[in-house]
Amino acid sequence: MFESIQFSSFGDFVEMGGYAFNVWSVYALFLLFFFINLYFPILKRKQIMREQKRRLLVNREKVSIDSKLSNNEMDKNDS
Amino acid sequence: MWLWFSKLGSPKWFYELSGKWLPWLAAGMSLLLIVGIIWALLFVPPDYQQGDTIRIMYVHVPFASISLAFFPLMAVAGTITLVWRMKLADMVAKTAAPLGAWFTALALASGSIWGSDIWGTWWIWDGRLTSMLLQFFLLVGVISLRSALEDADAAAKACALLSIVGCINVFVIKYSVDWWNTLHQPSGSFSLSDEAPNPPEVWVPLVIMIVAVYLFFVVSLILSTRNEILERERRSQWVQELIGAN
Repeated sequence: MFESIQFSSFGDFVEMGGYAFNVWSVYALFLLFFFINLYFPILKRKQIMREQKRRLLVNREKVSIDSKLSNNEMDKNDS
Repeated sequence: MWLWFSKLGSPKWFYELSGKWLPWLAAGMSLLLIVGIIWALLFVPPDYQQGDTIRIMYVHVPFASISLAFFPLMAVAGTITLVWRMKLADMVAKTAAPLGAWFTALALASGSIWGSDIWGTWWIWDGRLTSMLLQFFLLVGVISLRSALEDADAAAKACALLSIVGCINVFVIKYSVDWWNTLHQPSGSFSLSDEAPNPPEVWVPLVIMIVAVYLFFVVSLILSTRNEILERERRSQWVQELIGAN
C-alpha cells in the first residue's frame, strides 16, 4: 500500500510538484468551509438552548409571581 | 401514504428522527472524508498534463456537482410549501439557501485556483463559469429576499417562486459545456466525461469524496434545520419540554 505513495519525501509532498500554492490553498479553503458549516450550526444550537431556557425560567417565575399576586388581590377585587 | 406525508411534515417527527440518524451520518461522513482526502493527496498519480493540480479535482468536482442540487431541492421544498403549506418544507428551503451559496462559492473559488495555473487565468467569462456565478447571485438573492420581507408567510411564498424560476439556470450550468464547447479550445473544458475512461485509482477516490461531501451537505442541512425548528416551534409543548429537560 505505502509503495504507491506518489511522493518520495515529505518535502516533495509539501511542494506538490510545483503547485503547492494551488493545491494547498484549495484544501485549506475546503477545511475552513467544512469547519464553518459544522461549527456555527452547533454554536447556534447552544445559543438557542440557552436563550430558550432563560425565557422558560423567566416565564415560570412570572407565572408564579402572577399567581401569588392574584391570590392576594383576590380578596380586594374579582378581576 | 398520506399518513406518512403528514408525519414527515411534522417538525417534531423530523427533529426526533434526524436526531437518531445524525451520529451515523456524521460518522460515515468523517470516515469517508479522511479516507478520501488521504487518498487524493497521497496516492492518486499525478496527471500527465496537469501534474499534481489534479488533486484539486477531488475538492472541486464534489462541490460543483452538489451545488447544482440546491435549486432543485429548494424548488421541490417551495412547491410543497405553496401547495400543501407544509411548515417543514419551508424550513428546509430557508436553511438550504445559505448552504448552497457556500457550496457554489467554494466550487467557484477552487475552480479559479485550479484554472489560474492550468488555463493561465483566474477567470474566463465562458458559459460554465458565468452561469455558476449567476447561481451564486441567485442564492444571495433568495437569502436577501427572505430577510427583506417581514411577513414570514409572504417571504416563504416569494422564495419558493424564485427557487422554482432559478431551476432554469441549473440546466444552463449543466449543459453549458456541451453548448459552448465548440466556441472553446478543448483545454478550456474541465468536463471529465469527454476524456478517455479514467483508471480506477483516479475515479474511486473521486466517488468517495463525492459521497463524503454529499453526507456533509446532509449533516449540515439537518443541523441548521433542527435549529430552525427549535426557533420556530419554541412555543409548542414538545420544544418547551425538550428545553426544560436539558
